[in-house]
Amino acid sequence: MRVVTVFKAVTKNWMRSRSGLFFSILFPILLLLVFGLIFSGIGGSSSYTIFVQNLDRNPSDNSPTQFSAAFIEALNNTKTFAIKDVPSDANATTFARDALGPLGGSIRILVISKGFQDDMFNGTFKVRVGISYSTLNLTYYNYFMQYMDPVQRATFEQGLVQLQQFNESLPYSRTSLTIMTDPSDQSGAIVQSIIASIANAFNYQLIGAENVIQFNQTSVTSKRLTTVDYYVPGITAAFIMTNGIIALTANTTEFRRRGIIKRLSLTPLTKMDWILGNVLSQTLLNLMLTGLMIALGWVIFNVRIIPDALTILMIFLGSVMFSGIGMVLSGFIKDVEAASAIGNAIAFPMMFLSGTYFPLELMPSYIQMVSKALPLTYFSDGLRYSMLYQYPEGVYTNMAIVAVLAAVFLVLGAFVTRWKEK
Amino acid sequence: MVEAVIEVDSLVKQYEKLRAVDGISFEVYEGEVFAFLGPNGAGKTTTVEILECIRPITSGNAKVFGYDVSKNDDVREIKKRIGVLPQDFSALDKLTVKENIDLIGDMYAKHLDIMEVIKLLDLEDKTNEKFDKLSGGLKQRVGVAAALVSDPKLVFLDEPTTGLDPKARREVWSVIQNLRKLDKTVFLTTHYMEEAQILADRIAIIDKGKIVLIGSPQELISEHGGLKVLVIRKADNRLLDILQKKYDQVKSGNNGDIEIKIDNVSELWQVMSTLTEMKVKNDIEIQTPTIEDVFLKIVGGRITEEGELKQ
Repeated sequence: MRVVTVFKAVTKNWMRSRSGLFFSILFPILLLLVFGLIFSGIGGSSSYTIFVQNLDRNPSDNSPTQFSAAFIEALNNTKTFAIKDVPSDANATTFARDALGPLGGSIRILVISKGFQDDMFNGTFKVRVGISYSTLNLTYYNYFMQYMDPVQRATFEQGLVQLQQFNESLPYSRTSLTIMTDPSDQSGAIVQSIIASIANAFNYQLIGAENVIQFNQTSVTSKRLTTVDYYVPGITAAFIMTNGIIALTANTTEFRRRGIIKRLSLTPLTKMDWILGNVLSQTLLNLMLTGLMIALGWVIFNVRIIPDALTILMIFLGSVMFSGIGMVLSGFIKDVEAASAIGNAIAFPMMFLSGTYFPLELMPSYIQMVSKALPLTYFSDGLRYSMLYQYPEGVYTNMAIVAVLAAVFLVLGAFVTRWKEK
Repeated sequence: MVEAVIEVDSLVKQYEKLRAVDGISFEVYEGEVFAFLGPNGAGKTTTVEILECIRPITSGNAKVFGYDVSKNDDVREIKKRIGVLPQDFSALDKLTVKENIDLIGDMYAKHLDIMEVIKLLDLEDKTNEKFDKLSGGLKQRVGVAAALVSDPKLVFLDEPTTGLDPKARREVWSVIQNLRKLDKTVFLTTHYMEEAQILADRIAIIDKGKIVLIGSPQELISEHGGLKVLVIRKADNRLLDILQKKYDQVKSGNNGDIEIKIDNVSELWQVMSTLTEMKVKNDIEIQTPTIEDVFLKIVGGRITEEGELKQ
């Protein structure tokens, strides 16, 4: 009963505080909007701007060679790039910088050097000779040799050696494509790999190889998901974490500093009732936050998340876990500024190291190790599984870990919360 | 026979190096207003918070309503029966006056009607005002309301008027005087001499963790306050000379005032008849000693507005 009273009072107090509302509800929503607009393409073209300077031209009329033109056409066909032409006599970097202006974004330049077409022919020839040599070599030693007499063998082996020498005498010419990107450009790697794969496709076609491996692209989820779907559970999880670790810690420390906790400790209210009231309030706040995020996703980004009972249970356990951590922190920290500084110092690295914004697979292995030690990893994974993939088996493991951590932090929080003066 | 609501025996509170409470013993009786008077750091709040069961004791005994403050089961019983206005009272900023009082009330098995308490403290106009919009005096009144909402027999008021302006202070005083009519036992701490003298039935003067004097204001003043003083305003030196020849304890005060210490009624009449004979027309005034004089004599200093002891 007293739990409910505490729950109602702290919830009301929080709902009427503008800064509380901003950081706990509005800020996450703004962040979702920003991420959503960037990744759904609503805010503008999703293509990468790339400057292409084609130096491989026919000497007679200065027109692009057939192969270099075909390559640019192939780039264009990926619909990934907005291609800007750089005149062959210009300095590509200067030209790109001038064209983009001071706020124009990252510079990406592809230079097709002179001799691209010739190198390609030569290279193709060398590759074909090489393939022929190794095919003959392999088949000879494995199959033909045993049916041949010594003279035939000697002749054939002589031929192989000559073919090998001829192949080695052919010039290597593979450096005719240059990609320049800004090291700070996060899309640089993506752009490079797309261009490389186009170049590979060219290579295969030139030597007449068929694609042995064919990619069938399908999504692993049962529903069709958009990129924004991925961010909804991630951002929700991250802010349930910050609500517990930053906001609750700062609030509770402030309550203690102002003597509100002391005032309540003078009544028959017990410490556990106080803590549970706060945890319940956090749960309600987080359910509201989740609901709003999903609703916003539906209306603006057409996301397809339908929260089920597992999702709600997961949010409850996550709220308990992170408010438990908040209670532990506020048990140690006396100063309000220190509380939010320490809260931030814990929350922000955790946010980025737990795969909530960036998939962990892209991170170095030591970061992946670190992430295994962070509670947010299990919470956001569990939330993602339950919200997006309808994959209960994935939810259960994470949920079990979160439930255990929730119990541990709640007990620890009760242990360090002082209900008596010294 | 009046019953003791609080019994304290040889109570000691020792911090690492500081002995905050140094073996004090006293009793508070049912229905009285009892005041702890002393400077900051004298051990007032420490003692009160021990009695409120939110601070452990080092040694000695303290009982409230016969329950022992250092036994967990007893603490529950004590907390049910007391109402507290803590030092530097604060409440939830964004809750209204009514909601804040209700919050404290709901912590008890039963409580008074909230509107009744609000009326008692004359807070009707502010019922739905947010706590952070209130002035200091109003906030204190909300604090007193919260202390009374559970209808406790014993009310602790820890420095109820510290930091208030004189008008707000007087408002809180009248609230405390009303508590007497409600049959409450009140334990008040203060560093304002006037507050203790006006409100308390009995005062304990506390300094450096020890009770140096305890008794009703009248007892303390008549035993330790010294003599009454007859002041003659703006007199001339001729009058001073004449009076100094006739009486022992005559001296000149500020602004040409003459101060004559009076032992008893007959001496007062003697002085008055001398003045009548001399046809003295100056303003006169009889000053009675106050708790401040008692404090000055016993502790050897004054307490500043901020509560610091000045020797």
